Amino acid sequence: MIQSNSKKDYFYRAKKMNFMNRKISTVLAILIAGGSLLMVNCQGDGSKAKKSDDFAIPDSIFKDKPLMISKEAMNDIIDNISSPVEMAALIKSTGVPFNQKFLAPTNKVDNLDTDFKQALNLGIYGCDLGYLNMYEKTGSIISSMQAIKKLADQLRIGHFFDFNTIKRLATNNENIDSLMYISVSSFNNMDEYLRENNRSNISSLLVTGMWVEGMYLACQVVKESPHDQLVERIGDSKIVLSDLLLILKNYKSNSSFANLVKEIEKIKKEYENVTIQVIPGEPEMVEVDGMLMFKSNEQQIIDISDETLAKIIAAIENARTMIINL
Amino acid sequence: MKHAIKILSVLLLTLTMNHSFAQSDDLVNVCALGIGNATYLKDFKVKLPANSPAQKFSVILTKGFVYKFVVCNAEGYEGKAVIQLSEGNNALVSNLKPDGSFAEAVGFSCQKTGMYNIFCSFKNNKEGAAVIIMSYITK
Repeated sequence: MIQSNSKKDYFYRAKKMNFMNRKISTVLAILIAGGSLLMVNCQGDGSKAKKSDDFAIPDSIFKDKPLMISKEAMNDIIDNISSPVEMAALIKSTGVPFNQKFLAPTNKVDNLDTDFKQALNLGIYGCDLGYLNMYEKTGSIISSMQAIKKLADQLRIGHFFDFNTIKRLATNNENIDSLMYISVSSFNNMDEYLRENNRSNISSLLVTGMWVEGMYLACQVVKESPHDQLVERIGDSKIVLSDLLLILKNYKSNSSFANLVKEIEKIKKEYENVTIQVIPGEPEMVEVDGMLMFKSNEQQIIDISDETLAKIIAAIENARTMIINL
Repeated sequence: MKHAIKILSVLLLTLTMNHSFAQSDDLVNVCALGIGNATYLKDFKVKLPANSPAQKFSVILTKGFVYKFVVCNAEGYEGKAVIQLSEGNNALVSNLKPDGSFAEAVGFSCQKTGMYNIFCSFKNNKEGAAVIIMSYITK
């Protein structure tokens, strides 16, 4: 539960920091401009460079291969991939205890040498961070955060992550609500920045990594203790799967993307036997703790056989294995 | 000389962007304080000139979750944000009450996973800026 007082601590500091940041931003902007000039002048000096995956480029480079969907539609779809926090919350609500072995290993981060690999795995670690936060496993958050910071920096979006504040909150085991807020909003800001700066290709990988990991966590829990609500959640993910494929196919001319699309299509194939039926209900407006709340009272019935579920789990595991072993 | 102008333009643009970014982020931070016993999921920033059509956001909401939407208006603008949660053409809930007053927050108990739309406009088509915080209520 969020406690407003502890959150205030963070927000007060955040406001103070914002004021200072604005002062500092003037100096920084000059340094950045100078730095950029230096970088331009120093190109080709033999410094260590990222491997080329034809991907460290903005969307605009795909001019000769027009996007299948508009930028607006793309934004809508990316917004539509629900937050990994919801999946983590659902897992926790089942009463299943935290399991460290479900998390992706963070010791291979240095091997991720392209934007493609980094963005996908950043999504994976972002989802794991939500899982850790949900269970208040502050001790494990640091190693997860270090991996996230490294990848975000390499993708040039690390400035959205207030690593020191998160580290302090996690180390002191305090303000869990602030920790959750700052973690989630950092990812939201990174994603928003990527899309605003014509880097939707990176954004689409970020959300794909998050989606796959969220599904993977749910599948692991279901394998150990089948829980109706979680099985339903796995089943109704059919709804977003087509959208996810739609955005990834935009970049299929890139071979790395093409492989990823193949893997996600395998998952989609296993979903063919999942049926979703809705029985209408009489909506009602109720007041809960002074808040006006709409309740549709319709019923959503998700039919997913054990066999289909097992196949979906296997396909998700394969996709996740492929991503973390890139 | 041309280079100097270019660099100056970049600097000015960076500073302007930083300033407006910090302003809307401040509002998000302050607004997130008002979500009470809920967990933050996402925020939507809206800034519309007078007589603009409503801005639309799409979200996937999940069965079994109770969502809470809190609206905060930016200072210095006359417009008060009106939000409406819809599914297709069906308006579900709005923060604008029939008597013309505003609810501080609106909730939605989701019974069906699917795509929903959040429309945001400003009352009487005035110019306005606001932040919408989407959160879920912890059971």
